[in-house]
Amino acid sequence: MRSAFLFAAAVTLATTVSAQVRLPVVVPLRGSGQRPAPLVGIDALRADFIARSGSDLVYFSGDSAVLSAQSKATLGAQAQWLRLHPEALVRVEGHADITDTRDHALAVGARRAEEVRDYLILMGVPPAQLGATSWGKQKPGPARTQTVLVR
Amino acid sequence: MKQAFPFLALAALLSSSAEAQDGTSVIAVPPLTTTDDQPSPVGSTRTIAWQATQLIVSDLQSTSEIMVVPPDQQKDYYSYPEVTAPTFSRWRARGAKALITGFVQARSDGRFTVGCYVYDTEKGRELGRTGFVVAPADWRRAAHKCSGLAYQSLTGAPGTFDTRIAYVASTGSATAPASRIAVMDSDGLNHKFITPSDAMVLSPRLSPKGDRVAFVSYASGKPQVWVGDMDSGQERPLLANDLISFAPRFSPDGRRVAFSMQAGPNVDIYIADAGGGVAQRLTTSPGIDTDPSFSPDGTKILFESDRSGYQQLYVMDTTGANQRRISFGGGWYGSPEWSPDGKKIAFTNRGSDGHRIGVMNADGSDPRLLTSGPRDDGASWAPSSGELIFQRTDASGRNGIYRAPVNGGEPRRVQTPQPGSDPDWSGVVD
Repeated sequence: MRSAFLFAAAVTLATTVSAQVRLPVVVPLRGSGQRPAPLVGIDALRADFIARSGSDLVYFSGDSAVLSAQSKATLGAQAQWLRLHPEALVRVEGHADITDTRDHALAVGARRAEEVRDYLILMGVPPAQLGATSWGKQKPGPARTQTVLVR
Repeated sequence: MKQAFPFLALAALLSSSAEAQDGTSVIAVPPLTTTDDQPSPVGSTRTIAWQATQLIVSDLQSTSEIMVVPPDQQKDYYSYPEVTAPTFSRWRARGAKALITGFVQARSDGRFTVGCYVYDTEKGRELGRTGFVVAPADWRRAAHKCSGLAYQSLTGAPGTFDTRIAYVASTGSATAPASRIAVMDSDGLNHKFITPSDAMVLSPRLSPKGDRVAFVSYASGKPQVWVGDMDSGQERPLLANDLISFAPRFSPDGRRVAFSMQAGPNVDIYIADAGGGVAQRLTTSPGIDTDPSFSPDGTKILFESDRSGYQQLYVMDTTGANQRRISFGGGWYGSPEWSPDGKKIAFTNRGSDGHRIGVMNADGSDPRLLTSGPRDDGASWAPSSGELIFQRTDASGRNGIYRAPVNGGEPRRVQTPQPGSDPDWSGVVD
C-alpha cells in the first residue's frame, strides 16, 4: 500500500513535468517545505516509464474492455519501454466503474487488465514480464487500467 | 470460532408448529425462574435468569411478527412448578395469546441448565420446549435458542437470533487501507476477526454449518478464492492455479463451492470441491457470468450474466445444463441470492438513479424494489427468509451494513466497530 501511495505521488509529478523532459534524473518529492530528495531504484524507474510512455493509465468507457486508438498509442509506447527494460516486471491493474456491482466490477477490471496485457504481448513484450490483476471498484476513480512497475 | 457450543440438548421437541397467524402474535415473557439462587463466574443464577429474559424480550421485539408483553420484574415471577403448569388465565388477562416460561438452574458441575417452554394461552396447550446444559458464559446462546423456539412456534419460520454475520471490516487508515474478515453474532456481540490484515479481502461467505468461510483474498496480488477454517484459523487457496477467481458460495451441503474464474477474456462460473481439486466449468458464454447462488435444495444455481448485453439473472442446473434467463424488468439485475425457503430471490437493481436492493419470486416474476439506494449492493438473506442484510455506501464513499425486513420498513444500520461491507448472514447453527 505504501508503495502505491508513493507511486501516486510520482505520477502526479510526472504529469506536471513537460513532455520534452525525457529523463527526470532527480524528481523532488511532493509536499512544500520538504527538501527535495532524489528518486532511486524502483521509484526512479517508474518515473522514467511514465515520462517515456506518456502515461501508465489507459481509459475505458462504460463496461467495455475495448482499447481506443489513443489507448493503443500509449500501450505501444509502454511496450517499447518494457522491451528496452527486460529486467522490469509489471502488473496491469484493471479498475471498473463505481456504478458496477461488486463482483461484476471485479470481472470488468479483470477483462480490461487481460485486454491490456494481451495488447502489450502483441506489441512484443514477453508474457513473463506481464502480470494482471483486478481491483474491481475497490479503488474509486475513472474506468481504467494502470500499468504498475513491480520490479 | 467455537463451532459447536458445548451444550447437551435435553429436549428439543417442537410440537407441530403453531398455526401461522395473521398479523402479529402477542407473547408474554415473564422473568425466567430459578429455584435456588447460586453464584457463578458470570453472575448468580437469578441474575442470569433476568438477563436471559431481557435478551429474549429484545430478540422478539426486534421482529415485525411478534409483540411482547414485557416482564414486570416485581410482579411477574412464577414458581418452578409453574414453568410446566402455568396459569394461562393470568397471561390471557394481559392480552397475551402466547407465553414463554423457563428456568436457569446451577448444576453441581458448575454448568447451567436452561429450559424454555412456549404455550398457546387460549388453548392452554404447549407449542414447544427446548433445554440445554451450558457453560455459564454461554447463557446468551441458550437464551437466543429460547427466542428461536418462540419465533418458530408462532410463525413457523426459523428465527435469526442464534445466527452469525460475516463481513469485511475496513481496519486501515486512509493512507494505509487494510481489510479483515470479521464475524459477529446477529445481535452484534461476540465480534472477532478471522483473517489477518496483511492482504485485502472481499466477499466472505459462510458455510452452511458456519465452520468454514470462503472469501476472496489478494494475498497473491490478484483476487483469488480462499477457504478458511473457523476453528483452526487456517486458510488456503481453493485452487492450485494463478487465475483470477471470485464470488464464492458454498453448496447447501457444504461440500462444494461455486465461483467465477477468468480464463482469457471470458469470466465464467465454475464449481469445485470445497476441499480443493479441479474446477469444473459450468458456463461458456462470452461475457461475464458471476455471483452464483445455489437453490436451497442444491439442484440449481442462480447467477448473473451480461450475455444479453446487460446484467440479467439466469438459472441453470448444477451441471450447467438448462440455462435460462429469469429477469426481464427495467434496468440491470445483479448480485442475486436465493432465499433459504426457496421462494424468493434478492438482487441489486442498477437503474438510472443508482443501485437498490429488490426481491422477486424464484421464477423471476413480481420484481419489486425494497431500498432507496442510491448505492446499495450485495443482499444476503436472514435464515428466516424475512429479512435481508446488505451494504450501503454513502455519498462520501463510506460503507455501512444495513438490515431490512422483506415485507417493508426502513432499513436499519448494523453497528460494527469499523466501517463494514460485504455482509453474509449465516444459516441457523445447531
